[in-house]
Amino acid sequence: MALAIQAEGICKTFRSGWRGQNEKLVLKGIDLQIEQGEIFGVLGPNGAGKTTLLSILSTLLLPDRGKVQILGIDGLQDGHRIRERVNMSSGNANFLWSLTVQENLHFYGMLYGLAGKKRKAKVRALISLFNLEEHLDVPFDRLSTGMKQRLSLAKSLLNDPEVLFLDEPSVGLDPSVSIWIRDQIRSIQKEKGMTVLLTTHNMREAESLCNRIAFLKAGEILTTGTPEALKRMVRMGDTIRIEFKGKISEEELLRADGVINFSILDNLCEVIVDDGEKRLGPVIAIFYQSGAQIKKVSLGQTDLEDVFIEFAKETDSDMGLRL
Amino acid sequence: MSSSNLQKKLIQIWAFVYKNWIMTKRNVFSLFEILFWPVVGFLSVGLLTDFLKLDANMSGFILIGIISMSVTQVCQIDVAYVLLYDLWSKSMKHTFIAPVYPFQLIFGSWLIGVFRSFIVFLVLSILSSLAFGFDFLRPGIGPLSLFLLGLFLISALVGMMVCILVLLFGYKADVAAWSISSLMALICGIYYPISILPSPLPEIARAIPLTYFLEYFRTFYGFDAEMKGLLGWGFGLTAAYLMIEAFLFKAVLYRARKKGVLIKLSE
Repeated sequence: MALAIQAEGICKTFRSGWRGQNEKLVLKGIDLQIEQGEIFGVLGPNGAGKTTLLSILSTLLLPDRGKVQILGIDGLQDGHRIRERVNMSSGNANFLWSLTVQENLHFYGMLYGLAGKKRKAKVRALISLFNLEEHLDVPFDRLSTGMKQRLSLAKSLLNDPEVLFLDEPSVGLDPSVSIWIRDQIRSIQKEKGMTVLLTTHNMREAESLCNRIAFLKAGEILTTGTPEALKRMVRMGDTIRIEFKGKISEEELLRADGVINFSILDNLCEVIVDDGEKRLGPVIAIFYQSGAQIKKVSLGQTDLEDVFIEFAKETDSDMGLRL
Repeated sequence: MSSSNLQKKLIQIWAFVYKNWIMTKRNVFSLFEILFWPVVGFLSVGLLTDFLKLDANMSGFILIGIISMSVTQVCQIDVAYVLLYDLWSKSMKHTFIAPVYPFQLIFGSWLIGVFRSFIVFLVLSILSSLAFGFDFLRPGIGPLSLFLLGLFLISALVGMMVCILVLLFGYKADVAAWSISSLMALICGIYYPISILPSPLPEIARAIPLTYFLEYFRTFYGFDAEMKGLLGWGFGLTAAYLMIEAFLFKAVLYRARKKGVLIKLSE
C-alpha cells in the first residue's frame, strides 16, 4: 500500500519573548508513516504537540528540521499542490461570523475552485449529509457548538480530499453528538477511502475510529500500533473483581489459563487476566470449585487510557519503552 | 494555463469578492463607512471652504483632496478586510490551507473595494456639484479615469501593507487599517501643496504616488504642477511598490508558516 503521509525527523521549536529568548521545543524528531486509506490517530495530553504536528503535515506550519511528504509530494517545497488534495477540520471551529451555513460552504467551495453547478450540488450534498438543512440560513455565530462542528466537517469535504486532517473533532461536544460525528467520519472514510489523520486526547474516540494510533507525549512519539497491539504490548490485562465469602484455591487460580496475577484483600479478589471476557467463566468456576460463595463480580477492561498512562510512566522512568 | 485552470483561478478570486460583499451587506457599519463618514467629512470641509470664502479653484483644490482621501480609505479598507475578517473570526487557517495564492486574495478584495469606493466617488462628486458647484468632470473622462485608477491602485498598496502587518503583528496591526491612509493623505498634500510641508516631508511625499495623482488632477483646475511627468511617476512608483509588496507578502506568509502565526491567529 502506498504511503499517504510520510514524516521523518520533524522538529519544531517555538520562540517567544523579547528577541525570542524563550524557546519551547514542541516536536522532537517525529517519524511517521501512514498508509493510504488508514484512519490514524495521534493521541496525547494537552500540550503534547498534536496540533503542531497536524499543522505541519497540513502545510500550515513549516518544521525547523525534517522531511514531510504528503501523497508523494514534498511538503516543504510544494505546499500549494498538497493543499489542492487535502483539507482540515478542527474542534472549536471558527468561520466568518456573518456568513450563513450555506454561504460559508459556498465561500470555501470557491476557494477550492468549484464552479457554479458543481459547487451548488456539492454544498447541497454536504448539507444533507450533515443534517444542516434547518440551519442553512443561520449565520455562523448563531450556531450551537455541535452545528459549528458539523459545518466544519462539511467544509473539510468540499474538495473531496485524499487526506483529511481532523484536529480534536469532538472536543466540547455532547456525548451523543460526538458519537454521531464519529459515525459520520467512519462512514465517509469507508465510502471515499480517504486517509484520515486525527488528533485527540479522547482515548475512546481514538479506539473506536482508528486503525492505528501513535502516542505523543512532550513532543515525542512513545509508540505506534493498532489499539489491540498496544494493549498487548503493555500486557496490562483486564481485571476481574470478585467479592466472595469462604476460601479459594490460590494455586489453581494461578495455574489457570490467561491469569497473569491476582491479589486477595479481605473478601475482595482481583484477578489480572489477558482477556477478561474469555477468562471470566473459568475464573468463576475455580471459585465455585473451591466452595467459595460469590457475592459480586465485575470486569474492568483495559482501555487505551490505561495503556497510555502505562507508556507515559515507563518513559518517565527511562525504561526505554520507545518502540 | 488551461481554460479549466484559468476558470478555477478566477473562481478563487471571486471567492474574496463574495466574502467581502456578504460581510459588507450584513454589517450596518459598512453603510457608515461608504456613506456616512465620507459625506460628513466632505460636507464639513466643503462648508469650511464656503466660510473662508475661497475662490472656486481653491475650493476645488481642497474638495479634490477630501474626495481622494475618502475613495482611497474605502477601497483600501476592503483590501485590508480580506485578512482582518479572518483575523477577527479566527478563521485564518482555513483560508491558508486552501490552495489560493496571495494575489488572488488581494485582487478579489480589491475588486469589491473598487466597487464600493466608486459609489463613494459618485455620491461625493454629485454632492460637490450640487452643494458647492464643483465640476468633477471638467478634466474629461480620460484624465478622471486615470486619476481614479491611480487612487484605486494606491488603495491596493495600502491594503496590502495592512495585510502584511497583520501577518507580521497579528491583532496589534489592525489599527494600521485606518491610520496608514490618513497619514499618507497628510503627507501627500491632501488640502495643501507639499511645498508648505517642513523638510523632510516633501521628499517623503515625492516617494508616494498619491502626491503625483493629486497634483495631476489639480492641474485641470488651474494649479501649476511642481513636478514633471506626473502620471509616469505616479504609475511607475505604484508598479514598483506593488512588486515590492507582492514580494514582501510572500515573504511574510512564509514567515507566518514558519513561526506558527497562522495557527496562533486561528485560536
